[in-house]
Amino acid sequence: MRLGGEQVGRWGIALLAVTGIVGLLLAWHGWTGRAATVAPSLAGKAASGGHASGTPGAAAPASSPSAPSSPSAPSSPAASPAPTASGHPTAGPLLSSEPYASASFQVWPGSPSAAAKQALTGLTVTVHKRGTGLLVTAGVIGQAAGSPHLYAGGARVYVIEASLGDDSGNADYNLGDDGLVVTDTHGRIVQ
Amino acid sequence: MSGTGGRASGSPAATGQPGPLVPGPGATPQQRAAALASEWAPVAGRILLALVLAWFGYHELVRPALWTGYVPVVAPTSTAAVVAVLAHGWVLLMLAVALAAGIATRIAALLAAAVLLEIIISLTVTAGLSDLTMRDVGVFGLAVCLTGISHQRFALRR
Repeated sequence: MRLGGEQVGRWGIALLAVTGIVGLLLAWHGWTGRAATVAPSLAGKAASGGHASGTPGAAAPASSPSAPSSPSAPSSPAASPAPTASGHPTAGPLLSSEPYASASFQVWPGSPSAAAKQALTGLTVTVHKRGTGLLVTAGVIGQAAGSPHLYAGGARVYVIEASLGDDSGNADYNLGDDGLVVTDTHGRIVQ
Repeated sequence: MSGTGGRASGSPAATGQPGPLVPGPGATPQQRAAALASEWAPVAGRILLALVLAWFGYHELVRPALWTGYVPVVAPTSTAAVVAVLAHGWVLLMLAVALAAGIATRIAALLAAAVLLEIIISLTVTAGLSDLTMRDVGVFGLAVCLTGISHQRFALRR
């Protein structure tokens, strides 16, 4: 058989057929596991326009990368939409036990590391202490700021970035692998 | 210099098509190196391009949710975005195997170039030129190069 002037034998066709089937099986695996994202995604909030349980919202159309702009200053909670509260503190699983633990970068308290700064590319995260919890606002640079979210019992804030390779300059090309997690002092994820 | 090189017997030259130069017994090391590079560099380029495509294809297939942010126009959480990523990953995987095994390499390279061009245009339109986009331009160039090379070594033709 000739394909575009090139000879393709039966072994080649067989190999392509097997590859096609394997690809379909992998696609089925990906399709069935599509809901189990690696990290609480920031992109998901853009489409839902609301807050998913346990994660703050970042309202932005994630189909387009964040536009380059200078990082915003911490917004005043008074000027922001009313914060959503996580209610009574419920300790979730240990962050270290989650599959995305290796992709988490602490951004608060203290100064973010170089890797954390890169993970923050394209994102804005502002944190204010509020009583025994944290008031966290996450957003995408160049987009409208998200609503602040109160994490009762929160002590540390992490940004999840599964792949740093989609960050360029101060733009994040793919928000699908970005997320935000707040833990308590024991490292348990605050729901 | 001109008398030291020749073509392998039964080479494509006999059919009027260009083929790799085979240095004669009196060839200099530089000529031997050039002949070796002309013979095997396309294979290396082909396999390395296949590795790139396979890596992205596999990850798009097994974790489509991480890649939906790249899909233009549609919302990243939509079913359409996931389906688009899965289809894209499947195509990349097929192209990777075709290139690695040397099956219809020029057609596979042409399709790979088309896919890469689509990625470059999409990234450029949405965020302008950046280091990521320019890296893809380089990979696109490799794919374009491979569309012009026939009669490669290490190719499955049977």
